Amino acid sequence: MTDAPVSQIRNFSIIAHIDHGKSTLADRLLQTTGTVADREMKAQFLDNMDLERERGITIKLQAARMNYTGVDGQKYVLNLIDTPGHVDFSYEVSRSLAACEGALLVVDASQGVEAQTLANVYLAIEHDLEIIPVLNKIDLPGAEPERVRQEIEEVVGLDCSNAILASAKEGIGVPEILEAIVHLVPPPKDTVDQPLRALIFDSYYDPYRGVIVYFRVMDGVVRQGDRIRLMASGKEFVIDELGVLSPAQVQVDNLHAGEVGYLAAAIKSVEDARVGDTITQAKAQASTALPGYVEAKSMVFCGLFPVDADQFPDLRDALEKLKLSDAALNYEPETSSAMGFGFRCGFLGLLHMEVVQERLEREYNLNLIVTAPSVVYQVTLLNGEVVEIDNPSTLPEPQQRQKIEEPYVQVDMITPEAYVGALMELGQGRRGVFKDMRYLTPGRTTLIYELPLAEVVTDFFDQMKSRSRGYASMEYHLIGYRENSLVKLDILINADPVDSLATIVHRDKAYYTGRALVSKLKELIPRHQFKIPIQAAIGSKVIASESIPALRKDVLAKCYGGDISRKRKLLEKQKAGKKRMKSVGSVDVPQEAFMAVLRLKEE
Amino acid sequence: MPAPSRQDLTLSGIPRAAYIHIPFCRRRCYYCDFPIAVVGDKLWGENSGTITQYIDALCREIAITPSGGADLGTVFFGGGTPSLLAVNQLEQILDALERRFHLQAGAEISMEIDPGTFSLTQLQGYQAAGVNRVSLGAQAFQPELLAACGRSHSVEEIYTAVATIQSARFTNFNLDLISGLPTQTLEQWQASLSAAVALAPTHLSIYDLTIEPVTAFGRRYQPGIAPLPTDDITATMYRLASEILRGAGYEHYEISNYARPGYQCRHNRVYWQNQPYYGFGMGATSYTQQQRFTRPHKRQEYFEWVEALERGESVLNTPQTARVDMLLETLMVGLRLAEGLSLKALASQFGEAVVQPILDCLAPHQAQGWVELSPPGSAEGRVRLSDPEGFLFSNVILVDLWTALENYQTGLAVTG
Repeated sequence: MTDAPVSQIRNFSIIAHIDHGKSTLADRLLQTTGTVADREMKAQFLDNMDLERERGITIKLQAARMNYTGVDGQKYVLNLIDTPGHVDFSYEVSRSLAACEGALLVVDASQGVEAQTLANVYLAIEHDLEIIPVLNKIDLPGAEPERVRQEIEEVVGLDCSNAILASAKEGIGVPEILEAIVHLVPPPKDTVDQPLRALIFDSYYDPYRGVIVYFRVMDGVVRQGDRIRLMASGKEFVIDELGVLSPAQVQVDNLHAGEVGYLAAAIKSVEDARVGDTITQAKAQASTALPGYVEAKSMVFCGLFPVDADQFPDLRDALEKLKLSDAALNYEPETSSAMGFGFRCGFLGLLHMEVVQERLEREYNLNLIVTAPSVVYQVTLLNGEVVEIDNPSTLPEPQQRQKIEEPYVQVDMITPEAYVGALMELGQGRRGVFKDMRYLTPGRTTLIYELPLAEVVTDFFDQMKSRSRGYASMEYHLIGYRENSLVKLDILINADPVDSLATIVHRDKAYYTGRALVSKLKELIPRHQFKIPIQAAIGSKVIASESIPALRKDVLAKCYGGDISRKRKLLEKQKAGKKRMKSVGSVDVPQEAFMAVLRLKEE
Repeated sequence: MPAPSRQDLTLSGIPRAAYIHIPFCRRRCYYCDFPIAVVGDKLWGENSGTITQYIDALCREIAITPSGGADLGTVFFGGGTPSLLAVNQLEQILDALERRFHLQAGAEISMEIDPGTFSLTQLQGYQAAGVNRVSLGAQAFQPELLAACGRSHSVEEIYTAVATIQSARFTNFNLDLISGLPTQTLEQWQASLSAAVALAPTHLSIYDLTIEPVTAFGRRYQPGIAPLPTDDITATMYRLASEILRGAGYEHYEISNYARPGYQCRHNRVYWQNQPYYGFGMGATSYTQQQRFTRPHKRQEYFEWVEALERGESVLNTPQTARVDMLLETLMVGLRLAEGLSLKALASQFGEAVVQPILDCLAPHQAQGWVELSPPGSAEGRVRLSDPEGFLFSNVILVDLWTALENYQTGLAVTG
């Protein structure tokens, strides 16, 4: 790797909606600049987590350094810093953008601007990035570059007269994109002489080398062997390994202002080197850290319990290991009368929760029961003390509390006009407050609602997708806490309250939710040898009740020579089903029941 | 009847029983998911090329199946509708069995027959060929119920069939009845039971209807939901059958079977005692050398399989039943019998250590009257399910037993 003068460096990221072709374009840039040989090219080089590839989304960001000789004959170093494409990770996106001077705004020429793209473009504008619009997939029959160009101008307010028409798949427009990066994106400021400040925009845990930190040097120089200090965590480490990503890791002696690279320094946990933290020299410290560092705050909580109680130690070990590579994951032990020992876990959002759950099940082979997600309520007690409650079963009794406040988010949905009615109905049904509706371009509308987060973390996204036949997109961000008339809805199975089934709901919806929940549980819980009452109650008042009739028979009528193997399988299945259940008093409750609140039919 | 206690002890060993599958039927009943071939109402016996071709393959299979060396004590012709065979076709099969395995003197030779498919001459012919037990598929005594389940015969034909059986002087005959049919009421069920008892069969098989997924019923109905009777009603039907038939002098000797003393079906007891048996014909299962093997369910595939067998290709390629599985199967089938299982026999076959977990697991069921131990408190006596409550919940008890024994180390078995 040659030492690149600051003036020849261009740092940029790509902003795009899922499926609008970000990964394909990134691949194409790597290929065109010769960074990755054609034969080494595997589809979508940047997304290297299995889960990401399966879902076609980027969760963990990556970076790549490319050498490019411009049409002007000059040699440039281009650093592509990838951004995660999901709302749960908007903090990470903002840190990646802070490490860049420019961004490619990639929009599918047959689709248009989506909510998430819009949110990220505004983030980029806030960071003063040079934005280069790219209309992708122009080779597709449905492409309408003119309409989309107009839409970007009207919606985002960007001048699109020089938007690049491209097809990353076919390689159309790629040389123009590279030239635009070189000429439009400004070079970093030359602050090589100042004390070291480097911005961490990603990190991951490597079991052999410790945490690998990805960073952009903002000021000064960093060298192999330097003793560094992380300004937020206050920890110091000696750099064992310093390098660039091309996109494979290649070691270098030093990196200076404007450059992007990675380091390893025997850091034991990503918590010690969080995204957004500033790296400086231990000896010649910078006076101030880079702006924008925020502690991760969990928005969504759920209980994770092993189906088989013997797996509790395995679950604890797995969470410890995951935590090493995921600083945003929080957990603490939880004991439930129904589920036994487990953990209460906090996540950035629903996708983050799903990702962690899947990794626990896939990578650590755990069989888990997950309780319905909850948000953090702020409860003011009679003495004026405010407590945060993330587990409905621990909500203080009504006589002890003054008020309950719940988190609200602003949800922006972008949808074809035809689905506006259906989405407004959804917003209304979820206690939403309608704020605004804007026509983006003929036929496309943005709908803005303020909603309790609790209503969004259930199946809001799925409902939005199904009501708009997949066409609508959404983005949300926290706007504060509001007081509401909230109550704890208890579920009693065979007269025992089940802590893991308790939920906090709005008083006006309690009756409906209670009824729906007991009838869902009636479906999910198998018959036992006795009649099982299932009740929903607020305090001591039962508001809904059903009962599961007693089992009258459970017998195989016929069993002759040819039946034995088949009947055996039936019984094995019955046995396996029973093992997957949790005992609540004398009632066996299947796993699905604990997520039942998410599967209630819409009114 | 052989004394059951001695028979309990041998689980592996040499087969002395043979099941012969005769897949032909006039049409398929709505509840049936057996491997059958529909031949309609005219071309039966030797007039059917299909049947002739099948008998040929069947006899070839018998002829090349290695004999364990013991004579056959029981033969069972099941179906399908074996009474669609001409007498000489049945003789052909029995000859093949005799040549290959030899039949014991006094062997039980059973045959399933359907109303409307046989004449007196024909029945006498089967009898002369050696058949000494017949099983008549009556199913119900109400025309609307017979129609509802797609049976090919009338109520009238049931009476004619029984008269024919009696004229042929069969002393050992069974009637099949089904409870829980669509729209069936308790009154109809009681009437069917009384009608059956009045015909004085020596044996009755009473089946609670099972809705199999790939049947006409499976497509149309959901268990416990109208027009099918509720579980409450079918459980009452089960109790009613037990009460009425035991009152009429029948022993309720297996979950779904009743017999006059001395007339239990010896062939079916082989299954319930988890002993080995041969199986011949399409879809038939055999249990020999601890391997359960089911033959192809389609005719053409069965023919090809027989040809492969004749070319000497290894075709019984199923895994041997593991010892722990043998234990679970022994419990599953053994507890179907009213006499239950001998703990002593289980201990000698699977190890002394097997007894305690079984007793521990059964204790709560014993407390609620579903399980009986005789003599009470004995670790060497017999465990059995009570009639009718224990029988009705047998799956619950089995699932508990299997869970308790799934990690049981049969390797510790002390052979006694």
